[in-house]
Amino acid sequence: MNQKKESRIWLDEMITLLPLALMAFFYYGVHFAVMAAVCIFTGLAAEFAALRLMHREFTADDLMCTSDALIIALMFPAVMDYKIAFLAVLFGSVVAKNVFGGRRNMIFSPAAAAYVFTLTSWGRELLMYPSPHAHTGIAEKAKDLVVSASHTFNMTGKMEYSDFEILMGNFSGPCGAVSIMLLVIAAAMLIFRKDISAGAFIGTISGTAVFAFITPMIADRSDSVKYSLVTNMVLFAAIYIVSDRRTAPKKSYYAFFYGFFIAVASYILIITTAQENTIVLATVLFTPAAMGFRMLEHKIEQAEKEQAKEEAAR
Amino acid sequence: MFLVNDLIALLAANLIFSQALGTSTLFAAAASRKDLVRTAVTITLFTTIGSLGAWGIDNILPRPMKNYVSLICYTVIVGILYAGFLTVLYFMGSAKFRKYKKYIHISAFNCAVMGTLFTVSGRAADLHRTRDVLCYLGGGIEAGIGFIIAALILAAAYRKLTSEKVPESFRGFPAMLIYLGIISMAVYALN
Amino acid sequence: MKNTRNSVFDGILGDNMVLSSLMMISPVIICGDTLKNALALIFAFTSITFISMLIGSFVPKKLPYTARIIIYAAISSLVYIPVRFAAEGFYPESIERIGIYYPLLAVNSLIVLQSEAKFYRMKRSRMIGSLVFYILGFDAVMLITGFVRELFAYGTINSRIVSIDTLISGLGKPFGGFIFLGLMCGVYRCIRSAFRAKNRNMS
Repeated sequence: MNQKKESRIWLDEMITLLPLALMAFFYYGVHFAVMAAVCIFTGLAAEFAALRLMHREFTADDLMCTSDALIIALMFPAVMDYKIAFLAVLFGSVVAKNVFGGRRNMIFSPAAAAYVFTLTSWGRELLMYPSPHAHTGIAEKAKDLVVSASHTFNMTGKMEYSDFEILMGNFSGPCGAVSIMLLVIAAAMLIFRKDISAGAFIGTISGTAVFAFITPMIADRSDSVKYSLVTNMVLFAAIYIVSDRRTAPKKSYYAFFYGFFIAVASYILIITTAQENTIVLATVLFTPAAMGFRMLEHKIEQAEKEQAKEEAAR
Repeated sequence: MFLVNDLIALLAANLIFSQALGTSTLFAAAASRKDLVRTAVTITLFTTIGSLGAWGIDNILPRPMKNYVSLICYTVIVGILYAGFLTVLYFMGSAKFRKYKKYIHISAFNCAVMGTLFTVSGRAADLHRTRDVLCYLGGGIEAGIGFIIAALILAAAYRKLTSEKVPESFRGFPAMLIYLGIISMAVYALN
Repeated sequence: MKNTRNSVFDGILGDNMVLSSLMMISPVIICGDTLKNALALIFAFTSITFISMLIGSFVPKKLPYTARIIIYAAISSLVYIPVRFAAEGFYPESIERIGIYYPLLAVNSLIVLQSEAKFYRMKRSRMIGSLVFYILGFDAVMLITGFVRELFAYGTINSRIVSIDTLISGLGKPFGGFIFLGLMCGVYRCIRSAFRAKNRNMS
């Protein structure tokens, strides 16, 4: 991936993330906007400081830290404590990214690592959400929090929202990961612009759909497929985490299987443990597999080059 | 589906990710992929056969003495295995002895092997299965396989963790610790 | 003379056994989450390692390497018995929490491997000096780890509540230990290389 492309990817990602953020602001009010700002500025400051310590200059390509920070904000409940959001972004930027050399040597998706970090330290704060249209002020404490629609679906197999509400994101859950219509548009745009790995995205979606059909969570197979795709942040994570070009295998063929395996593992975790948003956990756990795929690609490329050389020599 | 579930369970009970046992040995062997795999296999041999020894000891030792005397008994078991494996290797030929003895040396007395014996023994006591040899044998094999999985996970990232792109202060061991920490965090979140 | 003095003190900064060679990290990662645990581990590690290595230095070098290693492990396992008796009096709660990591201290790499590779090649008086600093190096890391993790994970210092409003409970978990130790290791290397660069410039 050349440098120019990385800053272009950032721009495209931000274009798709901003409508999600606007939607979250519309549903949940100013608390979300401040939380997103805290995340972005923390990400920017952490990246800047880390690059200074590594004696590197901050360039346009390093702006990816802001899209990572916004992805983290969109995976949180809109009323998340600012300090927790700050610590999560700091963890994602410093521990999961810059300690390993930053964007030149990515191992984990910073957003996925930050989410898992928050889940393990502040699980209750992360998994209790405000209802849509329950606006929270800047300094207000969140009240009347509810469990997510994903949690209810995982536990009971029931989804009490109409298709229109689901499309518009009018149900409780992570503030940016529920606007399904916007996410579908974002996926189409990012795939069309080659900003995300199409193979990994298709693999994730087809893995979830196939397994939701073969081993449905509810009696109606088509509903099982539909709800499995729109709940548990599957669509959001498929776009912004699993298909992240910095960590997914490069070739679509391998990326497809990478995404497929993540989706299968995540689906099995949901039906066996009823845990929410397992796709993010599965992505972190499949990081070694992604690196294994990349090594394999590298070896195949080298073998092909050597073969081409030998043939040319003949 | 059951296979994926079993794999997840194996990860959750992994002696490195959940108990940090044998991490130093894993890092010591990480420099070469061959060394890593061979060390992991040798450790599996030690944990599996050693667990059988632990079963014998646990059934002989009276309960009040266990906290104090188990360690010396397990040390004797590992010592016998250590000498035994080296002897067997010696009789397999001098070339093989020279090539493989280092794996036995680094695998004998470490937290992975000794820790497994204590863990297996503790689990058998909790489940009231101290007389069940299969419980010990299973625990020993599981620990060994867990070590192999951790070795593979580390091997996949080794090149990146020791790359020149990693800041000098964090290159190698510190990056490996943080990498295993993040994987361990995801494993913990599964529970 | 200066070099000799430096190498005796190496165990604390120049070649800290935990931060430099990652020896004995399991107890630090798993049990180093409170100051009380840290103190109990320090007590056991210090007494077992010092006494065992002192006794082990009398083992004849004529014996085969494998036999010597087994004897060192056996000596420390025997030294463990009275240390455990004493620890149960001093730190009864911590012993319970530390569990299997307590006996594991007795078969640590300093006794089993480093004794042969480093310490028993020195004269006894010098070995004792060097060993003391290696042990102090472990103790210092254990104390810092226990203090910081207890403070930020549980909001206490030696079980006394202090006012911290956002606790990072993950820091008290095994993965928190891995990550904290990794970061500490990186910072330690940074400080060490800065010291070395300064010394080089001065000389």
